[in-house]
Amino acid sequence: MERSRPAAPPRHAPRRLEVDGTQVDIEAQAHRPLLDVLREAGHTAPKSACGRGECGACTVLVGDRAVMSCVVLSGTVSGPVTTAAGLGEAGRDLREAFADHTAFQCGFCTPGQVMRAEAVLRSSLDHTREELACALAGNICRCTGYRQIVDAVDAVAVSRKRQRDKR
Amino acid sequence: MSVVGQSVRPIDWESKTAGTALYTADRSPEGTLVAKVLRSPHPHARITRLDVAAARRVPGVRAVITAADFPDGALYEHSGEPFSDRPPLAVDKVLYVGHEVAAVAAETEAAAQEALRRIKVRYRRLPAVFTTRAALAPRAPRLHDRASGSNVAVETQDQWGDVVAAQARSVLCVSGTYSYPRVSHACMEPNSTIAWWHDDRLEMWTSSQAPHFVVHELSQLFGLRLDQVVCRDVAVGGSFGSKSKISEHEALAAALSMQCGRPVQLVLTRAEEFAFTKPRHGFTTTLHAHVDETGRLCHVEADVEVDNGAYNHYGPSVMRAGIKHLGSMYRPDAVRWDARLVDTNLVPGGQFRGYGQPQTAVALEASMDELAEQLGRDPLQFRIDNASRPDSQALSGSKIGSNRLAECLRRVGDMIDWDERRSDDRKWRGVGVAAGMHASGSYAYPGGNVSAAGVEVRTDGRVVVRFGGADAGTGQRTILGQVAAEVLDVPFEAVDVIMADWDETPPDMGAWSSRGTHMGAHAVRKAASSMAQRLLEIAAEKFGSDEVELHAGGVEGAGNRVEIGDLVTLDPDAVDGSLRIDEEYLEERMEPYWTGIERPNISATYAFAAHAIAVEVDPETGMIRVVDYAAAHDVGRAINPGMVEGQVVGGALQGLGAALGECLVHEEGRAVNPSYLHYTLPRATTVGDVRVELVEGPEPAGPFDAKSVGECAIIAPAPALLNAVYDATGIRFRSLPLTPDVVLTAIRAAEGKQPRRHHLARRPSRWQIELFRRAYPWGIHRVLHRFGTRWARSVPDREVERLELPGTVDLAVAALGESGAVVAGGSSDLVVQQDQGLVRPRVIVSTGAITSMRKVEETGDCWRIGAAVTLSELGAWAATGAPLLREVVATIASGQIREVATVGGNLGQAKRCWFFRNGFDCYKRGGTTCPCYAVDGDHRLHHAVIGAHRCQAVAPSDLATAFDALDAVVVVAGPGGTRRVDIQGLYSGPGELDLSEQELIEAVEIPKRTLDRAQAFVKVQQWDGDFALVSVAAVADVSADGEWQSARFVFGGLAAKPWHARALGDDVRGTRPTPERVGELLEKELEWEAHPLAGNGWKVDAAIGLAAKATRKIQGGSGE
Repeated sequence: MERSRPAAPPRHAPRRLEVDGTQVDIEAQAHRPLLDVLREAGHTAPKSACGRGECGACTVLVGDRAVMSCVVLSGTVSGPVTTAAGLGEAGRDLREAFADHTAFQCGFCTPGQVMRAEAVLRSSLDHTREELACALAGNICRCTGYRQIVDAVDAVAVSRKRQRDKR
Repeated sequence: MSVVGQSVRPIDWESKTAGTALYTADRSPEGTLVAKVLRSPHPHARITRLDVAAARRVPGVRAVITAADFPDGALYEHSGEPFSDRPPLAVDKVLYVGHEVAAVAAETEAAAQEALRRIKVRYRRLPAVFTTRAALAPRAPRLHDRASGSNVAVETQDQWGDVVAAQARSVLCVSGTYSYPRVSHACMEPNSTIAWWHDDRLEMWTSSQAPHFVVHELSQLFGLRLDQVVCRDVAVGGSFGSKSKISEHEALAAALSMQCGRPVQLVLTRAEEFAFTKPRHGFTTTLHAHVDETGRLCHVEADVEVDNGAYNHYGPSVMRAGIKHLGSMYRPDAVRWDARLVDTNLVPGGQFRGYGQPQTAVALEASMDELAEQLGRDPLQFRIDNASRPDSQALSGSKIGSNRLAECLRRVGDMIDWDERRSDDRKWRGVGVAAGMHASGSYAYPGGNVSAAGVEVRTDGRVVVRFGGADAGTGQRTILGQVAAEVLDVPFEAVDVIMADWDETPPDMGAWSSRGTHMGAHAVRKAASSMAQRLLEIAAEKFGSDEVELHAGGVEGAGNRVEIGDLVTLDPDAVDGSLRIDEEYLEERMEPYWTGIERPNISATYAFAAHAIAVEVDPETGMIRVVDYAAAHDVGRAINPGMVEGQVVGGALQGLGAALGECLVHEEGRAVNPSYLHYTLPRATTVGDVRVELVEGPEPAGPFDAKSVGECAIIAPAPALLNAVYDATGIRFRSLPLTPDVVLTAIRAAEGKQPRRHHLARRPSRWQIELFRRAYPWGIHRVLHRFGTRWARSVPDREVERLELPGTVDLAVAALGESGAVVAGGSSDLVVQQDQGLVRPRVIVSTGAITSMRKVEETGDCWRIGAAVTLSELGAWAATGAPLLREVVATIASGQIREVATVGGNLGQAKRCWFFRNGFDCYKRGGTTCPCYAVDGDHRLHHAVIGAHRCQAVAPSDLATAFDALDAVVVVAGPGGTRRVDIQGLYSGPGELDLSEQELIEAVEIPKRTLDRAQAFVKVQQWDGDFALVSVAAVADVSADGEWQSARFVFGGLAAKPWHARALGDDVRGTRPTPERVGELLEKELEWEAHPLAGNGWKVDAAIGLAAKATRKIQGGSGE
């Protein structure tokens, strides 16, 4: 279920991060959690719910990997950052599946759920339902009871697989 | 066009799934100040001095408030006279840890924190009571001057029906005492408020599910007109009842803003959320349930004790709702109760989904099972026979119209294969059922029977619904839109819904008591119907024909069609291209509580449900696995079936949470587990699937036949689980939650196992510790807690200055030479420790850029794993050829954390003891003058059974357990070069590395020979990714004929370091051990090695169970 190794972080903390296609200056903030830097720069899709890497509401992609931005120091980020708001067409099917399966209620954990799910699906489309639940288990949702979230992600895995096989 | 009854996409799906929906904290106005609250550190104390002058002088501070800033005698209204008892800030006395004493608003968070530190408060401590039992004891310290002359806030002794006659009919009675713990809503969005006093108005952006109570309470507190307070329409991240009334931070933010005229934002931290928001009331319910000779539940006697916490809030009505449940769902002739709401020095209880009913339902539904068993009846059929009937009046007064409870029970039986599972007599498997019901709104306060809505049509054809409640995530916004679309026959996509903001909507009381659908949809239906009538009239006049009808966004008739938007300007009442009609809906079926009606029918409709759960209980670890879950609900007809199903599944898991692990733990009145890590709530893997069926049918009183669902879904899960566990184990548990310690301890007791002897008399090395432990309750704890903690050391208060990313190990070692420098792998524990006040580094030295530390390579007869390799990379490498490590990594934290957390970081993380991590000035945090809170506190799950001294914490690292079993060696780099230590030598204590300040872990070397051996890892954890309560990593050299040439069993969760069962390894060498034999040998060894605390001896049993599992896995089995 895990991806192969990511790019090493740069030797010197980067001065800017690419976030959803825009540049965020982090020169004086390399030691600060990525989530704080993102939200202060107006990228409020990742949510602050625990600040301790325990719930997943702040999940963003770094490259193709999902990380909890509240415990990652911005200076160690090694690739472009994508938030749920910047996912665009790449995640449209996933977002629609969340809607069609009623996979959210209050929506606060949803940007994080969507980003974790997107990373899981990018790593592989061949998951059993149990494996999917396991891969999503780091994202807490207090409203849905999770079943519809797993249903939604499972449905997207099936449809993406079908598209892949067609190609 | 039919929109009602369809699972349309939630109206806000685009913004919610893209993260662009604006929650309170996402949208601060320019110039917003940061607010922080000063809270009491004591559970009960008199404030002898409170001086905020220095705080006001801190640069950047704009407002500071104390009780003196509110009018004398200011109280929240809450339940109304005579129950109102809470001032917005503590007056003279604090009544619980976390009680709000003062609040500040400043330009920056740092300035706000500094101001809090400058506030001088002197307390004189008073004795405190933390349980209802202690609070009711003679001479117990009192919190309030109650009329009762005691800590009893409210007492009620009463009955429905003829008790004497009912009792006379009794042929059988079962009795039991059940307790339901305090549990937290744990909404994903922390409570957040922005308040802004300007232009003589208080403008609020706040996470509320009922602006009504915010507006009314604030106007009452500050002497404002209602129209001087307005709550704007914001996204709300979950509530479950918690935000159905005003919350304390809302009033504080408002008061701060009124002092300075600036917008003030107050967001609670997650720890504050768990510790200081108002949880579900803990109930202790003693129930005597009687049946008559026909097998009908004929009489219920209840003694109900409710833990009020420090203030009343809505405790009186929570207690009333809990009692009411006993006389509503079945058909007893009489119910008699003696109930009391008892003040304790804990955070007050609040409103939580189900509102008293889940608590008493546990007692009622377990009693129903016991009665059925004693009568030799099937518990499902017994409930069907006892179920209340349609078109009847319950003993409690509820006039029930439609009622498909019996059908729900039958359905759920079919869904879960009830008969088959009941006749499956394999031990440790079981199935249980429970029923639930809930009203659809209640006439609990004046105005509770009224709802209002506006419907507007604009010239562009769009329809706008205006509703003054708030949608905290229930989907009310969507279904109100569906109702308007249905009535006006417009596409759902043409409807917008504005909520909460009374500048834009007529006022409404909001969502509580499951009234959102019944009241809201009726109001919107009524307003939309009036609008439809108006549009038809205009069109009729235009067409010159009365034969007109609404169709697909227009009106058609006499061969003509006009779009509804084009009719707007034809109406003289239209303003700015819009026509709006407001209507008020009055629910006449509801009867109020307070006018003297003996048994009022408080609601118009009643929803019913049955849940059935199949479980497997692991007799070796005490873990409960839910293998199937079925729920059938009578909701009348669903307006949006997908959303209804979502409410059911969500309620099922939330209810199950309280049965399986959720519980707010306190020590000295202070929250021990205020974090997602330590508060065990359900995760995506807790239940594989929850299958839901809606048993639909007419309900003439409901809007489009709809009844409520949100709260009904949380009543049955916990008792269904208790009943299933009874079926599986033969043990009747009566207290929640069923954590593995509780279950395993009970299983061993039922087997007749005597408490283990640990031969302390013959172990002089443990005498001092044993003596110390015995003396703890006799004064040591008290002295250390009361006085020793005054000398507790604290970490320097400083900010991180910079991040270093050295490219080589030498440069890293050099960087660590600087004062205040710490090493970090993925920083996933460092950031947490900073938040917890455990470390305050000046410089963070990251190992992420040291290429040599980021790879796994072969070096001679070893595999060398760089310390900066992430867990995810380690897992990928281990997938081929290192099964033990693969299994270990898969159990650590979450996928996201494994992407950044490193091998070195995992080995070096600090202990996870819940006292140490959650702010207690314990021995390890505060120093030698401080107590170990685990000795007398709750140590069942997270503390040591072997070798503990003053600190009882255990080693947190699962990798350390595994590496030790694999004979790994750790390469440590320092100024003098590298050195190698084994895992035991790496540590000086629990989660404490025996390294100098300038040393760091560079790599771990695993001998190839051990990787080739048979190996297994098994772990008891409360949720996927949790730290080990107990774990074992076992590696054995098994010859082709099955003989073990060597074996190494290393356990996690038992001791301050990974614990190696040496004697076990020696004893199995040269044998072909059975799992039972391994268990026996380990038991013998642990008898001499272990020294459990009073409440964690179960870990010894669990370790024995895990060793047997590991043995089976090594021998090629699945472990089970």
